[in-house]
Order: sequence, then C-alpha cells, then structure tokens
Amino acid sequence: MALWPKRPKKSAQRVCDPQASPYAMFNGVGLTIGRKRILDGLTLSLSESRVGVIGLNGSGKSSFVRLLNGLRTPDAGTLTLFGAPSSEAGPELPRHVGFVFQNPDHQAIFPTVEEEIAFGLTQLGAEKRESRERARAFLDLHGCGDLAGSPFAELSEGQKQLICILAVLVMEPRLLVLDEPMTSLDALTAGRIREKILALPQKIVMVSHDLSHLTGFDRILWLEDGRLRMDGKPAQVLAAYSEDIGRRLGTEAEVVAL
Amino acid sequence: MISVYLKGDSWAHRMPAGWKLLTVALGSLLLFQVTAIWIFGACLAAVVALYTSLGREGLAQLAILRGLTMFLGVLLLLHWFSGSLVDGIVAVLRLVVMFLAANFVSITTRMDDMLEAVQPLFKPLEWLGLSSRKPALGVALVLRFVPHMMQVFSMLREAWQARTGSRTSWRLIAPFAVQSLRMSDNVAEALKARGGSDGLSS
Repeated sequence: MALWPKRPKKSAQRVCDPQASPYAMFNGVGLTIGRKRILDGLTLSLSESRVGVIGLNGSGKSSFVRLLNGLRTPDAGTLTLFGAPSSEAGPELPRHVGFVFQNPDHQAIFPTVEEEIAFGLTQLGAEKRESRERARAFLDLHGCGDLAGSPFAELSEGQKQLICILAVLVMEPRLLVLDEPMTSLDALTAGRIREKILALPQKIVMVSHDLSHLTGFDRILWLEDGRLRMDGKPAQVLAAYSEDIGRRLGTEAEVVAL
Repeated sequence: MISVYLKGDSWAHRMPAGWKLLTVALGSLLLFQVTAIWIFGACLAAVVALYTSLGREGLAQLAILRGLTMFLGVLLLLHWFSGSLVDGIVAVLRLVVMFLAANFVSITTRMDDMLEAVQPLFKPLEWLGLSSRKPALGVALVLRFVPHMMQVFSMLREAWQARTGSRTSWRLIAPFAVQSLRMSDNVAEALKARGGSDGLSS
C-alpha cells in the first residue's frame, strides 16, 4: 500500500499523431532564456524529409531544434508538434522525436554500448532481457555487433557518435533531430555518418556548420539573432549564407568585433 | 572503465546473478561462525579453484590481492599483538576468502544483471511511491561517468600545466566542480530527450 498516492501517469492519453503532416507548425514562436531573447517571431511549418539549419554561433539554432522535442517550450506564439500543442505533446515527444547531441559524451547514459541501446527499448516498455536481445540484434543489423560489450568510454569518436544515433533510432522515431552531429569527427568519419543519416527512412532536421553536409537537403533554414533570415532550397540559401560571411569578413569592423 | 567485469561465457557467467550474490552472502555469514584454521584453508583452496576454472585470465585476476597486502599485514600484526598469531591468520584468511569470493561475482556478472538482482531490495521504495528503477539508473550513471570525469580532470590539468608549468593545483577543484555541474546538466537533458527516468511505457 502506498503511503501517499503515486504521481499520476504522465501520458495516460496519447495526444500526438505521428503521421501528422506538417509535423511542426510554428506561429509567431518566441523563446526567452533569462533576460535574453533567444528566438523571436518564428512562423513556418515543417513537413520536408530533409531540413538543414544554419546560422552563426548564438543565432538560436540549438534552441530552435530543442523546441522540436520538448527540451524547450516556447513562451510566445503557438507551436504545434505532431498535431498537438507543444505544451501537451511534451511527455510524449521522446517517442516520436529522436535527438542526437553534438557531443556523444553528453548523450550516452550507460557504461556499455549494449545497455545504451537497450535503454531506449526499456523506456518504451520492453522487459530487460528482451530489450537486451533486441539491442544485440539491432547492433548486428547495423554492423556494430562486436561493440556490444564494449565500454562506451573506450570507443573512437566516430563509433561514439554512431552508437548515439543508433541508441535513438532503436526507439523508431518519426523525426530525427541532430544538433551538429559531425563537429568533432574527421572528414572521412563525418562523411560516413552523413551517408548513414541520409539513408534513413526518418524525417531529418540537422544543424550543421559544414555547409557541404547540407547540399542534398530539401530545405534550409538560416537563423540570425533568433529570427528566420532566409528559408528555401539549399542552392540559394547556402550560397547567400556563404556570401554573407565572405562580405562580413571583408569589413574590418566586423573582424574586430569578433 | 572502472567496471571489473571480465568478458566471457564460463559456467560462472551463465549462473544467475541472484544465486551468486546469495551464495556469497550466506558463505560470508557462515565464515564468521567458524574459527578452525583448516576450514579457511579449504575455503581459500576452493575460491582459488573458482578463479582457475576461468582459465589464465581468471587466475590473473588474483593479482587484485596485491593492493590489499599492506592492509592485511597490519590486520595480522594487530591480531597477533592483541591475541595470537593463529587469530591473526584466521582473520586474514577470512577476509581474503570473502574478498575473493565477492570479486569473483563482480568479474563474472554484468552490471545490469547485478542491478536486476538487487532491484527487489529497493522495492520498499515503491511502497513510498518512489521508483525502484531510479537507484539502478543512478548506479549505471556513476559507472558511466566516473571514467569521463577522470578524463575531464586530466584535461583541466593539461590546460593548467600548459599555462603554468606546474603539474596540478588545488585551484583546479573549482573549475572541475563547475564542469561536473555542467555535465550533469547535459546528462539530465539527454535523459529527458529519451523519455526521462520514469520511462515512456505508461
């Protein structure tokens, strides 16, 4: 008998529709952290399969992608995720949205690879033994079976990031959000991880500073000072972004301001 | 990695973790009831035989005793002075046997099997409305992040050494604490991104 009543179950009723399209609708969305306005007046909707997010440091990219899986909630405007208001969708979002962090060491929670993969399955309600077997099978499927028993801390950077991606994919999300996943990888490893990401059936939203990683995407969002500066096909947006950087590097005042 | 688990598939690895833990617990209780030195000799031989059954790698694990020699020596002397040499030998043997037996369980049991075996002990928490899953998660987090924090500390030390020339300083404690707090923030975020410590099964 409980001495005090259990907390009410978080998501007794499902509110999200994983098939919803667009999967995210922003209407005048703003976000303030402390006294700083991080995002402001964002209005757009996302339904494309491959969306890239670019912008300078501090432009709000990380906060923007964190809105998509409920790690942040907007304090202005309305945000609809998978057909539900973000305020209600929150607890259910990790089920539909996988999030890959920039630094794998910030993401992996468990000492060994197999436990890290199995965690997602136990999160979804699988029994421990079953989840371990499925984790092993999943690693085999992705050619990482021999890493199963390895301590996470002993993996190479590329292996770490791959395991982090797999640990999220095993939960079979509809949308995969990646916050600069290739930043700490060498060009070859980054290229391989990129190929793996692009081959996935999931919808992708990816932040990247390396514009070459975004060329094949369906749509690019360029954020500047928390606002949408440009939104369109990679050919136009990536070119305009590079040109803007080139122009700003050319003016001495900006260089000093850095 | 601080986990001492020895990868393998021996009879001991296949034995359920609960049985291993129970055997060690009961064995330790019994060892405190006996004082006959030949029994301890037999127990020691039996425990060493266990390690031998794992092969060369298993035997190599006995080296773990080296770290205890100082401590055991002091214990032997204390008992010798306060009682007799036999008392001392009995006390040392008892400890060695218990230590080796417990370590044998550690090297042949995966961490999550171990946690699963002890999880029932946390059941009383559920009567209080708390999750018995959380302590298990906590232990896993410690195992995961201790090596990482050691890495963070050595990075701080390198940064310190690169600019001061001296190897280490108490002043690194503050940045290390700050880094640790930031790290726990990151981990909390990562945990939340996959559904939090209560899971999504509801």
